[in-house]
Amino acid sequence: MFGLWRALRRRGVLGLNARNRGAIMGHNPRRCYPLVDDKLKTKRLALAAGIAVPELYAVLETEHDLGTLHARLAERPQFVIKPAHGSGGSGVLVVDGREGSNYLTADGRAVAPGQIAYHASNILSGIYSLGGVPDRAMVEYRVHIARIFERVSHHGVPDIRLLVYRGMPAMAMLRLPTRRSAGKANLHQGAVGVGIDLATGVTRGGVWLNRGVGAHPDFGTPLAGIAIPDWSRLLELGARCYELTGLGYLGVDVVLDPERGPLLLELNARPGLAIQIANREGLERRLAAIDALAPLPGDVAARLALLPALIAA
Amino acid sequence: MRVRLVFAIALLCASTGLGIAALKIARLGLPLSASAIATVWEVEARVAFEGTGKAARIALGLPQSPRGFTVLDESFVSRGFGLTVQAAPETPRQAIWTQRRASGGQALYYHLKVLPKSETPRKPGAPPAVPPTPEFTEPLALAVAALVAGARHGAADQNGFVSALIARIQRGSDDDARLVRRAIPDGDWPHFATRILASAGLASRVVWGLTLEGDFADRDLAPWLEVHTGERWTGFDPERGTAGWPSNFLVWTHDDPALIEASGVRRAQVAFSGTKTPTPQLAVPHRNPSRLDAALRALSLFDLPVRTQNVYRVLLMVPIGALVIVVMRMVVGIPTFGTFMPVLVALAFRETRLAWGVALFLIVVSLGLLIRVGFTRLRLLLVPRLASVLVIVIGLMLGVSLVSARIGFEPGLSIALFPMVILTMTIERMSIVWDERGGATAVEECAGSLLVAICGYFAMTEPHLGYLMFVFPELLLVALAACLLFGAYTGYRLSELLRFRDLARDPP
Repeated sequence: MFGLWRALRRRGVLGLNARNRGAIMGHNPRRCYPLVDDKLKTKRLALAAGIAVPELYAVLETEHDLGTLHARLAERPQFVIKPAHGSGGSGVLVVDGREGSNYLTADGRAVAPGQIAYHASNILSGIYSLGGVPDRAMVEYRVHIARIFERVSHHGVPDIRLLVYRGMPAMAMLRLPTRRSAGKANLHQGAVGVGIDLATGVTRGGVWLNRGVGAHPDFGTPLAGIAIPDWSRLLELGARCYELTGLGYLGVDVVLDPERGPLLLELNARPGLAIQIANREGLERRLAAIDALAPLPGDVAARLALLPALIAA
Repeated sequence: MRVRLVFAIALLCASTGLGIAALKIARLGLPLSASAIATVWEVEARVAFEGTGKAARIALGLPQSPRGFTVLDESFVSRGFGLTVQAAPETPRQAIWTQRRASGGQALYYHLKVLPKSETPRKPGAPPAVPPTPEFTEPLALAVAALVAGARHGAADQNGFVSALIARIQRGSDDDARLVRRAIPDGDWPHFATRILASAGLASRVVWGLTLEGDFADRDLAPWLEVHTGERWTGFDPERGTAGWPSNFLVWTHDDPALIEASGVRRAQVAFSGTKTPTPQLAVPHRNPSRLDAALRALSLFDLPVRTQNVYRVLLMVPIGALVIVVMRMVVGIPTFGTFMPVLVALAFRETRLAWGVALFLIVVSLGLLIRVGFTRLRLLLVPRLASVLVIVIGLMLGVSLVSARIGFEPGLSIALFPMVILTMTIERMSIVWDERGGATAVEECAGSLLVAICGYFAMTEPHLGYLMFVFPELLLVALAACLLFGAYTGYRLSELLRFRDLARDPP
């Protein structure tokens, strides 16, 4: 056990306690949390800053709004309902189309309109929100899967998680839905995380259920070698989110829509640590290297110019 | 930086807590273990006399913070006599009973409760005045001088000298010793010894006391010799000359004044009796002889009403349970439902006993979960649904109690002590986790909670720990210090070693 401990220390693996005390408490001021905990606020903030986000169709705030939901969505065969204060991908319902009066979810189930309303009602009552406080439900654009991910994703849209530390991308991973994760891209629900080379945007090996994997568990397709398009734009988008929120330890989730390009999906003030397993690398040294560069330039382009040297270090 | 500050504050808290506890042990004689049974002695002095029909005044010498004992309580039985207790700082304590007209056989009582305590050397007081050298007639003076010189010759220090001198006089077969022995007036050797010691330039006195052993009745006080050997009074066996006091020797009075002074009555005499009562140390209340002791005493729970004491017996264990949670979550990394849910469940286990507690917990949670699944179909809104689950939980508890009562199964009744709101929230959380992350995760978290609750139960029912927390509530500061330190712990959780094990294997 001590051997394991020492090996992890040697590789600079960041533990939850160290993350909470060092990175989160040290760089995430509490007053900035509402900006990312409320996805509606994040969306408005991003739009104001000119960052592309999935289009918002409707916001449901009261039980009364649920009655008109079916009618309001008549023009939208595809949409996503999610809680504004959800965490870890819970409470997200993806609708892919209609079958008669029923809706079809992303994992192929037929769902009656009443069930959609019930789901939204649960969201409103705060069942998915942190602390169980009453919440709002968002109905938004259903992002489509980019062609390059079709072979490695099961019923859902992969997203790219950038870990941005003090405004500098520190690590990145691609998150692929699996059968087990039921179309969701959250690792603890069973999605695959694939490490991405920060310098090139090309994927490396992956992690599934906390274990390293080389191939997608559902398809057996290799996970390494996928080149993420628009990588430098993605990095820039991620780095800009630091100024947007003021959070020094930030998870930026971006989706690649085949038509609309990179869209900012959500921000996370407490990004997880599985990204280390996906990248086969500890975070500690990278964070320390960024700390050593401080103060970092306020300009995003100037900041990103330091990235190659940082990766080489 | 911050870590240092946390360490400093934690150190301050811990040392304050431990310091107060150590002071309590030293000053109040509180033992570190509940198993220590205090032997409390109840000693009674019975003053019997015959009234003469005239105004009566009886003064009885009383012990004054006797060496080697803590006085717990004292009381008087005065039977129509007026009582005053004289207790000026420099004068010996006396109880003075008075009556204008006392007649017939009478008895007055003085009760004393004492607790033997470990000896703490007293501060050296001002040395007593050097006694005037007594004048012995020849040839006694020569014999005394010879014995003194002989004893001094062979002795390394004052104690050795006094011991040797007494032994020589009492045991010696030479002429000098025999001469001195013959000169002892009326068998009152101890007082004669003080005179001889005075001739050697030493202050000494006779003290009267009781050796407490077994139950005794109608006993008289026994004399003992105390010699001031430069720094403090040291006891000497007047017969053998050995230094020290008999064990459990309760010094009642010093020589002056006499134990009893009576006027207006006949045949006044005192007899002592004593009994030994084993008492758990906890129940021992303390008198407060000094301000520090009084302050320490104020930090104890003994003076609270018993009911309140019992509440704190439980409450003071909650921090221990919280500490277990902290360790389990921060160091081991076991997931639990809610932060302090396991502590509350563990508290319930205290009443139900562990095995039945776990069984009842599982019964209520699994039945509740089953019904909760039904509620999912009904599409109830959150708050009314929670309320419904709460009602169901209470119903289940009542059901278990009724069935237990019917079949005469005692532990089943104690389910009423379960924290129902906590059970409700557990069921609700579990059903949501079940829906979202599958049954495995839900069962895993439930098992984690239960495991932590069981660990908490063992910690919180540890009798030694319970005793320490109750007797030394200042140990709360130590628990606080531990919590603070864990708050600054940035090492791995044990579960993370498992989680990141693949990272340990890869070559860097």
